[in-house]
Amino acid sequence: MNRLQKLPRLTLLCSLLLVGLSAPLGAAEKAPQGLHLRIGTILASNESEDFDPKLSRMKNQLEVIKYSSYRLIKEEVQKVQWRLNAVFEVPGGRSLVILPQEYRNQRLALKVRLLQGDKPLVDTTVRLRNRGYFLLGGPAHEGGVLILSIFAMTP
Amino acid sequence: MTMDCESVRRTLGAWLDGEVSEKESREIRAHVEACPSCRAERSRLERLQFVLRAALEEGASKVTFESFWHGIERRISQGRVRHREFWDWLRPVILPRRLAWAIPVTVVCVLAVLFAEQFFFGLGWGPRSNVAAVESIDGHGFNLALLRESETKTTVIWLFEDEDEEEDEPAPEAASTDASL
Repeated sequence: MNRLQKLPRLTLLCSLLLVGLSAPLGAAEKAPQGLHLRIGTILASNESEDFDPKLSRMKNQLEVIKYSSYRLIKEEVQKVQWRLNAVFEVPGGRSLVILPQEYRNQRLALKVRLLQGDKPLVDTTVRLRNRGYFLLGGPAHEGGVLILSIFAMTP
Repeated sequence: MTMDCESVRRTLGAWLDGEVSEKESREIRAHVEACPSCRAERSRLERLQFVLRAALEEGASKVTFESFWHGIERRISQGRVRHREFWDWLRPVILPRRLAWAIPVTVVCVLAVLFAEQFFFGLGWGPRSNVAAVESIDGHGFNLALLRESETKTTVIWLFEDEDEEEDEPAPEAASTDASL
């Protein structure tokens, strides 16, 4: 069999190989079904030097903010759907509204809004890796400030 | 129809060379056998052909073709080398079997480049895989500070609710010194 006759067979074989290789890459981009959001509400102050043991896994991160005392006063986990608002109550008549926007390049995009009653305090869009987090802080509360730890994870 | 002497002598050379038709050849032969003058002319032409052939063969035997053939062989061999060089250069491009592998390999390379960012960053190998990125931020009139600290992979958005409270509350040191809005 000459080379010209082999060409279609080789091309077909290579194409199948190519499709086989590219399929997992394409599947990796598919958005997962929903995601879990964990919102931790932390009261930070300088009135003591107590550090809540429940926050031990975040000690290094919280030390960036330079308060002497940290206490976890609330933690809430919700499973939410893409492009649907999730509302988390925050002490002091505040609320946190999170809209998961998209999942691309293994990173989640979240639109986050912090409200005082109906009044918006902060609107931000943050892109973070799966199982990533960021901190939103500053509102005054009971002699200290509130720090919201926003953690996102796909199932 | 019988041929006259003039037309026979005009075609006698062609007849001796076998260049006339069969019918014409029979007529010429019949005329030559019957006509003494044309027979003599035929004999004269045959002798002339014999002498010329002998002279040519003798001259040809003296010609040396050795250098001539050497020249031809040299040119042929040079031509083959150039041809082989050109074919060696061209073969990887046009040879079907190699081409069949080259196309998918090229496509795979292009796809690898296109998917590299997603693949490597997805595995956490990329430089921006851990720190959250703030794409937009609006404080609705409040002061904001943004801190990204790579050592602890921490992103902090800090809200300063108002100046009075800011004086009462100790502002975070890192946020006030390192953060940028």
